[in-house]
Amino acid sequence: MGDRGDPPVAGERAELAGRVRQHVYRWFADTGRAPSPVELARAFELTPSQVEHVLEELATGADALVLLPGSSYIWMAEPFSAVPTSFLVGSGERRWWGNCIWDALAILALLDVDGWVATACPDCGDELRVEVAAGRVAGEGVAHFAVPARDWWRSIGFT
Amino acid sequence: MRRWCEDRSTRPGATVALEPLWALARSWYDDRLELGWRRRTPPERQALLDAVGLTGPFWSLTP
Repeated sequence: MGDRGDPPVAGERAELAGRVRQHVYRWFADTGRAPSPVELARAFELTPSQVEHVLEELATGADALVLLPGSSYIWMAEPFSAVPTSFLVGSGERRWWGNCIWDALAILALLDVDGWVATACPDCGDELRVEVAAGRVAGEGVAHFAVPARDWWRSIGFT
Repeated sequence: MRRWCEDRSTRPGATVALEPLWALARSWYDDRLELGWRRRTPPERQALLDAVGLTGPFWSLTP
């Protein structure tokens, strides 16, 4: 087994966490999915175990990522979702999953691209499509926020 | 929407039209790709909600 050096100390750890966080976002933007701990370990020349510590820190300390419960796998890097949701986002040939309609629109905003969000009416199942072009949004429907703002992060999966 | 809420035993929350939602999507996440990102403070987040007209108790970030 290769030795990837001593675990980073506190200051270096914060700097590393920042770079890992940004890498996760760029990965999502480029591929539409989350990197695995092994892929992150390879990118940063760390052990998967060291990466797991960084991810845990990003999730609990910096509130920057959401991990799948009981695991070191990335669930959300808001607005991106690593798991398929009811909010598919497209731009050209690229596809992403948004955590909700707000996040789905935010993916197009964050990447500064024209595109669309495909979802369905939660009640009747009819397809709903929202288009974004030249910085403007067009489509039907309204977004329903079930959870008051102060409780959004109490259970982000439900929100 | 009322039926959807009833099916889930959830009280109706608040609805937002696409335009303000798009405006919020643009402002809320605009710094996420930056290396120096930090989570905004509650007053900073509240200001973003206020700026798109989401005001009142439902949109308050403080208890």
